[in-house]
Amino acid sequence: MSLKKYISIFKISFAQEFAYRLNFIMWRVRNVMQILLLFFLWTTVFSDPTRVIFGYDRAKILTYVFGILVVKALVLSARAVEVPGEISRGDIINLLLKPVNFFKYWLTRDLSSKALNFIFSAGEIVILFLILKPEIYLQTDLLLLTGFFLSLILAILAFFALLMITSFVPFWSPESGWGAQFLMVVIVTEFLSGGLFPLDILPGAVQKILYLTPFPYLIFFPIQVYLGKITGDALIGGVLIASFWVTLLWLVMGWVWRQGLLVYRAEGR
Amino acid sequence: MSRNSFMGMLSQRFGAGIFIIGKLLRFGFFLAFIFFLLKGTKTLAGYNLNQTLFFFLTFNLIDVVAQFLFREVYRFRPLVVSGSFDLVLTKPMSALFRSLMGGADVLDLVTISPLVLAIYLVGRGLGPSPTDVLFYIFLIINGLALATAFHIAVISMGIITLEIDHTIMIYRDITNLGRFPIDIYKQPLQGILTYLIPVGIMITLPAKALMGLVSPWGVLLSFAIGVAAVLVSIRLWHFALTKYTSASS
Repeated sequence: MSLKKYISIFKISFAQEFAYRLNFIMWRVRNVMQILLLFFLWTTVFSDPTRVIFGYDRAKILTYVFGILVVKALVLSARAVEVPGEISRGDIINLLLKPVNFFKYWLTRDLSSKALNFIFSAGEIVILFLILKPEIYLQTDLLLLTGFFLSLILAILAFFALLMITSFVPFWSPESGWGAQFLMVVIVTEFLSGGLFPLDILPGAVQKILYLTPFPYLIFFPIQVYLGKITGDALIGGVLIASFWVTLLWLVMGWVWRQGLLVYRAEGR
Repeated sequence: MSRNSFMGMLSQRFGAGIFIIGKLLRFGFFLAFIFFLLKGTKTLAGYNLNQTLFFFLTFNLIDVVAQFLFREVYRFRPLVVSGSFDLVLTKPMSALFRSLMGGADVLDLVTISPLVLAIYLVGRGLGPSPTDVLFYIFLIINGLALATAFHIAVISMGIITLEIDHTIMIYRDITNLGRFPIDIYKQPLQGILTYLIPVGIMITLPAKALMGLVSPWGVLLSFAIGVAAVLVSIRLWHFALTKYTSASS
């Protein structure tokens, strides 16, 4: 019964995305434009096909660029961006009164958004591949592919918690939800997760500091695993650290949620 | 109008503070990316670190000034959809001016001065001649004229199609391609970005002028394109006004 409920939420949320088709298509067009910039930038850097720089050859860096498109669709696509608005408008009370778990509800809606974005990103990659004909690195090692999928799941869970923690700001400051989300999702996550460039072009000291945060485990780490640049003990260690961040972030998320509910007065309803 | 807009924005100090921090962080991250990239590659499409930084700073100047001046464009759609645009049309003021520049953004204003300083410092390192500097300033004004034309076209299309949010974001995504010199793009994209959607003329050309890479004829041709774009966009605006139905008012 419980699972059936969330399957229905998944289906409804999926259908809702199609209700605003232009909205969705424009969002995807914007993603592709960003990838085009990166593609041409790195193609220029690797105009000599034999060049190896920052530990990447041409095929690996272009795979990284295309990997960003897929991993971002799976990790960063989220309907939970609507949560700050729901809190500041007081609409969240509707959900609190329903027999659904708040976090499961939004995670289900996020998963439906990720599924749709993934389908579109796969189509976009095929089209871009046919037009641009890039050299692509195909990973065939089953162990690394398993590590890649595992790190993707951890990235999805970590980002969900990060987004939720940021989304709870309006409990205390109703006008600041958009600013907090802009800072966390659009700026910090985008850059520090490797969504624009591979983090290993940064100096070693900066990388070490970054690895103390959860951000590299959102985009950079999964793609590195796919490319075979992180293997063996480093892969196991990375997965363990990512698991630690997921656990910590989910605990913090639950605590902030409970504190938020204590001060929530359902203004606007 | 601008004073009211500034007061409104400053009343939400916490949100405004976060927004400014976000903008500065994005700028800083990009700067760091270019720095470390060029440290490894030495050149990008034949340009050295200082030159690539100068392209990026010039992009930011055009982008930030356009956002500072034309922030009202982002609030235009509700006016048209609700029919409240009637109130703009009946006021003794140019409806185009009101719709385009009726709400300057103080958050962008505060970033302009440090940006100009950075352009001065990096630009000076490129050793330009007085003519190069003059061409640069002319072409920056021309770039802003092109940005104005784009924004007029966006609000005109907004009246006709009731769609603005996506059009303006697509415009911004296209101009974002000018963060780096358009020489990095292959044909036909480079041609499109030079002539059809003149991001190259808006952003890359001014920076190239300071490096002494643009002839006087190139400057004149760019001006002609800038003037033509503004004239066409104003005609489009007048055409769009004839399609305004005042629905919902």
